Amino acid sequence: MTKRIFRSICLVAIAVFFASVTLFLCVLYDYFGNVQQDQLKTQTELAAQGVEAVGAEYFEGLSPKGYRVSWIREDGKVLYDSEADSSEMENHLAREEIREALESGYGESARYSATLMERTLYSAKRLSDGTVVRLSVAQSTLLTLLLGMAPPIIMIIVIAIGISFWLAHRLSKNITAPLNQINLDDPLNNEGYDELSPLLRRIDAQQHQIRRQEKQLWQKQKEFEAVTENMAEGILLLNTKGMILGINRAARNLFGATHDCVGKYILSVNRNLEISEFLSGIESGARKEKIIDLNGGKYQLALNPVRESGIISGAVLLMLDVTEKEQAEQMRREFTANVSHELKTPLHTIAGCAELLENGMVRAEDTERFYAQIRGEAGRMIALVEDIIRLSHLDEGTENMKRERVDLYELAAGTVRSLSREAESAGVSIYFEGESAMVQGIPQLLESIVYNLTDNAIKYNRRGGMVKVSVEPLSDGVRLSVADTGIGIPSEHRERIFERFYRVDKSRSKELGGTGLGLSIVKHAVRLHNANIELQSAEGEGTTITVVFPEGKE
Amino acid sequence: MRTRFDEQLNTLGQELIKMGALCEEVISLAASALIQKDDALASKIAPLDHEIDEKERQIESMCLRLLLQQQPVARDLRQISAALKMITDMERIGDQAEDIAEILPLLNDRTLPEHIKIREMAKATINMVTDSVDAYVKQDTSIAEAVIASDDMVDDYFIDIKSSLISLIAQNPTEGEYALDLLMVAKYFERIGDHATNIAGWVLFSVTGEKNVQPPAD
Repeated sequence: MTKRIFRSICLVAIAVFFASVTLFLCVLYDYFGNVQQDQLKTQTELAAQGVEAVGAEYFEGLSPKGYRVSWIREDGKVLYDSEADSSEMENHLAREEIREALESGYGESARYSATLMERTLYSAKRLSDGTVVRLSVAQSTLLTLLLGMAPPIIMIIVIAIGISFWLAHRLSKNITAPLNQINLDDPLNNEGYDELSPLLRRIDAQQHQIRRQEKQLWQKQKEFEAVTENMAEGILLLNTKGMILGINRAARNLFGATHDCVGKYILSVNRNLEISEFLSGIESGARKEKIIDLNGGKYQLALNPVRESGIISGAVLLMLDVTEKEQAEQMRREFTANVSHELKTPLHTIAGCAELLENGMVRAEDTERFYAQIRGEAGRMIALVEDIIRLSHLDEGTENMKRERVDLYELAAGTVRSLSREAESAGVSIYFEGESAMVQGIPQLLESIVYNLTDNAIKYNRRGGMVKVSVEPLSDGVRLSVADTGIGIPSEHRERIFERFYRVDKSRSKELGGTGLGLSIVKHAVRLHNANIELQSAEGEGTTITVVFPEGKE
Repeated sequence: MRTRFDEQLNTLGQELIKMGALCEEVISLAASALIQKDDALASKIAPLDHEIDEKERQIESMCLRLLLQQQPVARDLRQISAALKMITDMERIGDQAEDIAEILPLLNDRTLPEHIKIREMAKATINMVTDSVDAYVKQDTSIAEAVIASDDMVDDYFIDIKSSLISLIAQNPTEGEYALDLLMVAKYFERIGDHATNIAGWVLFSVTGEKNVQPPAD
């Protein structure tokens, strides 16, 4: 803008300068031309009077400076010329000024020389005898005048252009200075040109709008981030080439990536072949789902294409941690298989015995034994079904069971008493000790904990062995411990004995009538009471299982 | 023109990472098969090796096409020529993993003696391969230098295993065949370590343009 103003001012100044010089020259030239003409006329008058008075002698010794004097007869013949030989000169009758003088007594004319470099003014007067005196003077033309004046004019031009440049520079700076000083951050608070105020107001309004929209965007972004960052599921936004456009915290953790992974390719972040294969073909726009192993867990990947006006522009990858779900699913499958197996075995026995009895293939003295076997197996099945029902109740949760304050000591005492018959028949002596300790819990479950632990301690014992059940209050809870002098649990089985249907020694367990669900029930019940269970065992020496209940809250 | 070239270079990089990932997979399979005595794992190696070979051909032709069509200079040229060299090393890693897989069925009916540090060696080698691919992915010279430095560790493991095997044979000459097979496996791991070092060297070259660290001769 400064440049443009500068250029305009310069151009105008130069144009005005040239125009005025031209005008000035023309006027001056015209003026001087007129003055010269007038002088010529006066001189001609004087010469005419001279000739009139003296006659031809007037010309003798005449040496006019700058003027050329001619005397011409009325028929055009030149009688005298101050600069040329009059006898050789052509007839002047055709000349304009002569003709005019002959006609009206006085004539004037002006002629350019062939080169245009000179202009000659003529002035002629008719004398009383009819001859004509003509004076002429050379007048320099405008061009010669200009050429003559060139050095000063050029100097003036240079000076004038210089001054106009300087002024234009100053002026243009001055004009643009307020524009340069406009504070666009605060458009309304500016001094300067009034013409700018609509623009500034508009800018102000737009700035407000931008700020408002920015804030909205920021808020939206924050909301979005709050949602995605705090999700347990990993979210990954990819373009069709597999470049990461967005990633949330869960996905970053899963891939071991940092914040700067946005803009990189997924392959640069994680080289898992399964994932890269899963993500190939985003551009085809197919929905995909797959469960893969990642970082020691199982993750369900769901790939959904993102379409923008019908064109696939990328994909969203959702990663769900299904490790527990898969494990639960696995357990459920195993449980079902185990249950069917466990139920089938006694049924086979029952069916077999019944068939033999039916066909009369059993000797009379053996029938008793067969009936006993059928009853025994049926009893086992009942125990099994009861355990399964109990377990499934536990699986469902404890919403339907009432929690109350229970004296664990009394509860355990009752349970131990009820098991004394079994202990006696197994040849195991059972001791119970401790003191009254209150626990907040579900009585049926507490009972099954004590029952199952004590029952196991009796079953997996040896003749003449001992079981010691104790209940003692601690500073921050209650401890129940069941110690036996039994066969112990080999170290490789200790991890798994709480699993459903897991048995250390399958044949022995069956013989003892266990269902394989006892410790599993205990584990569930313990968990529902937020209690801790600990196992200490030495093979061949015995096992101590300790359950610590947290302090019962009122 | 340049954007297209950049895109091609990018694709080349991605393909190279894929090939690197395949190498990581194949060697970790070989190591797991050795440690867990799982022949089923070993049998997965051969198809992966074929995939690696296929990838090598694909990347090779991609590199040659880029060299011909784009006539790259400076950094681009380094990147492409380094890629050309790296795929050779990666392909060798695949081959050696397959060689290990061929020996494993002969070893897996025996319990690996505890004092033979082949497990540690396998783990160290896996780390080297993973790190060398990481160095390429991140274009990180410090990782590449660490890989080159850790080659000595793998070499030491090899020497250690060799001497334990010698004493094993000395004590029990009937163990000779087993010991030799084990030595072969160790040697293959050692070679894989060398290839990982080569890869790291090429990463250094492609980033810095200097080839001051001479990878062990192939």
